[in-house]
Order: sequence, then C-alpha cells, then structure tokens
Amino acid sequence: MKRHSKGLGILGIMVFVAVTLMATSVAFPQKSEITFMIPPWGEPDPEALQKFTEETGIKVILNVIGWDEIRDKIIVAGVSKTAPADVVEVDWSWIGEFYASDLLEVLDVSEEDMKDMPTISSFTADGKVVALPYGNDFRIGYYNSEHFEKAGVAQVPETWDEVVEAAKAIKSSGVCEYPISFVLSATETCTTNLIWLTLARSGNFFNEDGTFNKDNFLATLQFVNKLVKEDKLIDPVMATSRDVEVNELFSSGASSFLIGSIGLIFGLNDPEQSAIAGKAKAMLIPGRKGVRTVSMALPEAVGIPKYSKNKEAARKFIDWYLSPEIQVIQYKRGVFPTRSSVLQELINKGEIPDGDVVLAQAKEIKPAFPMGIPVWYPEMSATIYNAVNEMVTADKPPEEVVEEIATKIEDLAKRK
Amino acid sequence: MFPSKIKEWMIDAMISVKSKRFTLFPYVLLSPMLVVMIILVYYPILVTFAYSIQHKILTSPNEDRFIWFENYRVVLTDRGVWKAFLNSLYVLVIALLLTLVLGLLFALILKRETKIKTILTACAIVPWALPPIVNGVLWRWVFHPSFGLVNRVLGKNIMWLTDKWLILTIVGLVLAWRETPFACITFLATLQTIPRELYEAAEVDGSDPFHTFSRITLPLLRPAISIVLTISSIAGINVFDEIVALSGFSNITKTVMIETYLHSFKFLNFGIGSALIYIVMIATSVIGISYVRFVYRGTEYL
Repeated sequence: MKRHSKGLGILGIMVFVAVTLMATSVAFPQKSEITFMIPPWGEPDPEALQKFTEETGIKVILNVIGWDEIRDKIIVAGVSKTAPADVVEVDWSWIGEFYASDLLEVLDVSEEDMKDMPTISSFTADGKVVALPYGNDFRIGYYNSEHFEKAGVAQVPETWDEVVEAAKAIKSSGVCEYPISFVLSATETCTTNLIWLTLARSGNFFNEDGTFNKDNFLATLQFVNKLVKEDKLIDPVMATSRDVEVNELFSSGASSFLIGSIGLIFGLNDPEQSAIAGKAKAMLIPGRKGVRTVSMALPEAVGIPKYSKNKEAARKFIDWYLSPEIQVIQYKRGVFPTRSSVLQELINKGEIPDGDVVLAQAKEIKPAFPMGIPVWYPEMSATIYNAVNEMVTADKPPEEVVEEIATKIEDLAKRK
Repeated sequence: MFPSKIKEWMIDAMISVKSKRFTLFPYVLLSPMLVVMIILVYYPILVTFAYSIQHKILTSPNEDRFIWFENYRVVLTDRGVWKAFLNSLYVLVIALLLTLVLGLLFALILKRETKIKTILTACAIVPWALPPIVNGVLWRWVFHPSFGLVNRVLGKNIMWLTDKWLILTIVGLVLAWRETPFACITFLATLQTIPRELYEAAEVDGSDPFHTFSRITLPLLRPAISIVLTISSIAGINVFDEIVALSGFSNITKTVMIETYLHSFKFLNFGIGSALIYIVMIATSVIGISYVRFVYRGTEYL
C-alpha cells in the first residue's frame, strides 16, 4: 500500500507539472530567443528592440563584435556545421565565397522590396538572395570648403584633373601640405579605393566578360603614384594609416579632400566629432571626360546561417530590422537607409545634409564586378593592397605591380 | 565521510600503488585531465593532420579529396612562406635576446632588498598582463608617424612603420616588452633559491662580481633560462596581434602565423593552412626540445 501511494504521489506531481506547463504556454505567447551578430554601427535601437520583443515574444540577444571577426566566426562555425548566431552581418565582399561555401540560407524577397532596395543585387548569387541590406554604404566626395576658399578655388572639382589643380593650389597657398586623403596601407580599404578610382577616372575595373581591365588599372596606379611621389599631394603616412585614421585626419582639418563612406556625412558636420563641422561639404565623386561621376556601393546586410536552429524567428527579426520605420530610427544612429522610399522621405524632410548631392550620387552607382563578386575576391584583394603598398613604400613600378596583379587574377580565375 | 565500500576500494588502491602492482586507481584520477587533453589537444591535432593531406577549400566543398603530401610540397616551395619564416626568425632572435638580457637585469635589480621592491615587482608584471592586441595598438600609437610619441620626443617625422626591418625590429621590441616580466619573475624566483652560502664562499675565496655571476649565478640559472627560452620562443613564433596592429596583413612584414591565418581564414584553404601549421608545430617542437637538451641541466647543490 505504502509503495502504491508513493507511486501515485510521483504520478500526481508529473500530471501537475504537465498541466502547469500546458496552461502557461496557452496563457502567454510562445517565447523564443535568437542571437544577432553585428558590428557596433548596426546595433538596433534598444527601445525599438524592446518593443519588438514585447510584440513578437522573440528575445534578441545581441553579440556586438568587430566587423572582420564576424567573417571568421561564420566560416569557423560553418566548417563545424553550426551557426555562430541566428542572424549575422554579411558584407558585400563576402557574398561570392559564402554562396560557394553554402553558408547562408536563401531568402525569399517580395517584388516590392526588390524594387525598394536596389542594393539587394549585391547580395544575389545565381539569382538567389542570400542576405538583405540594412546599411547603404556608398562612396561620396567630401571637401573642406574653408581650405578651398583660402586657396582661392571657387569651383568644386568635377574631374580628376581639376582635383589635382585644386590640390596644387591649396598646397602652394600653404593652407595644407597634403590636401588629398587616400588610404594606401595594406588593408581592404586600399583595394576598394583603387576600384572606385578606376571606375570614376578610367572606366571598367572588370570587363563585362569577367576579365580584368589591365589598362584602366595601370592608369589608376600611375596616377596615384604620381600624386604621392612627384606632386606630393598625398601624405606618405597614408601608406600605414587605416581608414579611421585617414578620416580623422580630414575631420581634424589636416587635409582638404576625401572620398569616403556616405555614413561620414553625419560625423563630419557634428561639432562634437569634427573640427570642420559646417565646413565639410559633400560633392559628387569627380569623373572623367563624358562621365560626370561614378560611385561604388559597399553595402552591408544581414543573413541567416545555414545551420541556424531558429530560422523562422530570425526571418521575422530581419523583416522588422529592415522595415521603413526602423530604417528611419537607425538613420539617426548613423546607418544610411537601404530603402529608396526612406531615403527620399528623409531628403524631403531636409534631414540629410547636402541631400541633393547625396541623391545624385546614389543614382550613379556602378558595380565593380558585372559578373558578380568572385569567390576569390579576398585573395585578389590581398594581392592588390600588398602590391600597391609596395609601390608606395618600396618604389615598385606601377607596370610591375599591375603585371603581378593581372597574373594573380588569371591564376585565381583558372583555379575556379 | 565516504561510504564504506568506496573507502575500502581506495585503501586497496593505495596499497596496490605502494606494492607497485598495476591498478586502475591512478588512471581514474588522471582521466578528467586525459579527457580534456584528448578533446582539446589530441583530437584537433589529428583533425588538422587529416586536413593537411586533403584538398580542402571551403569555397569548393564538393572537391574535397586526399592529395597526401601535395599541400606540404606547395607550402615548402612557396617563396612567400619562406619570407614569412625569415620574418618570424628575425622577430624571434630580437625578442629572445632582449627578453633574456632585460629579464635577467630586472631580476637582479628586484632581488636587492629595497623598500619599493613590492611596488617595482607589481609594476614589472603590467606589460605581461596586457592583452597582445592592446599591446600592439599601444605601440602603434607610440611609433605613429604623425601623432606618435617617439617622433614628438625626437622632433622628427620618421616613417617608422613603412620599412620592413624597422617594423620587424619594433615587433621584436614589443614582444620583448610583453615577455620580459615573465622572464624577470622566473629568474627572480630562481635567484632567490640559490643558497647564500655559495656567494659567501666565493667572497671568502676572493672571487670578483663577474666571476661570481658567471661561475655561480649563471650556471644555476640554466633551468630558468631554458624555461624562459622555450616560452619566449613559442610567443615569438606565435606573434600575431602585435603584427596586425602595427602593419596589418602586409606581405612585407607577415610572419608565419599571419601566413597561416591568411591561407586558412582569408583564402579559406584549410588544406594549405593546416599543412603550414603542422610545419610550424614541428619547428616549435624542435626548438623546444633543443633548449631542454642543450640548455636545461638539473640543479644539484653538493
């Protein structure tokens, strides 16, 4: 009898626990938890995020880490068939290799969203969208209007020859010793700088058939080499400086001209962050004869790793994160919207400094790789920035540098 | 405290240890550590070797296949890899020399009984406690051509971070700065174990400070020198964060660990990356064994 009553007691407890659990799940919306791996600038607004959790029951755990660390973590996790987070940052330059390595989930996107977010094309491979853009980073020109005025340069340069003329005038008037800022260190920014400069000044970087345009790139290298060594318009310190340091040089008033991220437009005109607030003006990237301007997009997106266990909740979060309302909130935190409708709305309200220039530049974005971003992009990029860095620091001739790069690209393309 | 059966079993096990019979008990005690070592050390070593003999590029997952020692052949005939090895060797030599000399010097200073000895010892440990990346960033600002402390003090505009040998020398210096505290503490601990009588006897025999140091202190420091050499060499070969902070992933200054990182995580070629890391592991083992074989001597006070 005693044994029976003990067994009944245990059974009773089990039934009580089961009923309590069932009742709880009925009374409250089902809660789920996802992780979001993002660099500091993409962190969602805490208040808006809290509201999202309250409305959907999805708790988002933020894992805010350095941009380049995220790529390594996605790769290492992918090798061991796990997900580093349920939603991850995806850069435009990672798409080729991530798609080939099958690391990201393919995402369904509506026609409406495709039209509203043109940079989705940067995250599409073989017609499949593997990430959705949240940050619309493209290159735009900035100049220090005070330097230009002091040197008597009235016209904003429209071609690269005019940039050189203006820079020479600024240098000779003693306003600034090295007027042009241009990253030449062995970093990724050096490669992207040379790509947009080629697109704007000479033409295609890669041809439509997927071959490397050696002549255009050589012209770019000769131009940069001359600016550093003969004209002395670019500070040799650029060979060891990262993009953040170069931006700081410009915002401190130590240089007169910079082509940088559209995201800089807020900081450069904020007196707390910039010594040239009010004097930093946006301008179209100078072009060449017959081509007024060309820019390059370097958007950032979010995607779902193949091995995520919370794909449904992750997708709900992405849809919320990219919604027009959240893009407006995120813009105030320094993230440039990817939706054309949001961009237009902000310009109409006058919330973007030099809005007309920004809109004009946004319309003139050209893809650097017409055939899609190659899987060997990182290896090609490393070859480019190393060879160019050697051109500047170790006097390697531009002709030799371009040959080295062309041989490497040919080799990589064959390996594919 | 223990249930009687376990108590009996433990007593039996201890008796059997004393009688040198085979028993399971010591292995049971070792098993937690063995499990950890198998999971975190031996298994990855085996997996890395398996990768090193495969064509394993992450961007072409369907082309994985065994190619035996082809990756090793590619690595050993790559000029870039040899350049990276030479750069590592240069950094290693600079760092080792500075670490040994400065570590010993500071240990001898700290051995003297002074009122501020405790504070000095605590200060000496600070560089060792800093994360390597912080160490690198800190020195980058010291040598920055535009805003750097060194150029400000010198009143010149020297481009410290563009010349290959200058950067590698700075890396060696930075590494020595990080490793010297460890060397200093190791030397200090050993110096304090040397019997005072030996120095008194040397003084009675009329030995000068140089001979006292070279005939008594230095030979008795050999075990400590061996430890410092081994640990500093491993740190020298593994140097990564400081290089990245000072010169990024530049070809000119890349060391063997940077080369391994580039192949594995930038170019996603795990086959080549694994072969390279195996060669590094073998080289490190040879260096470590050489130190133990030629430098280390058991200390005996007769």
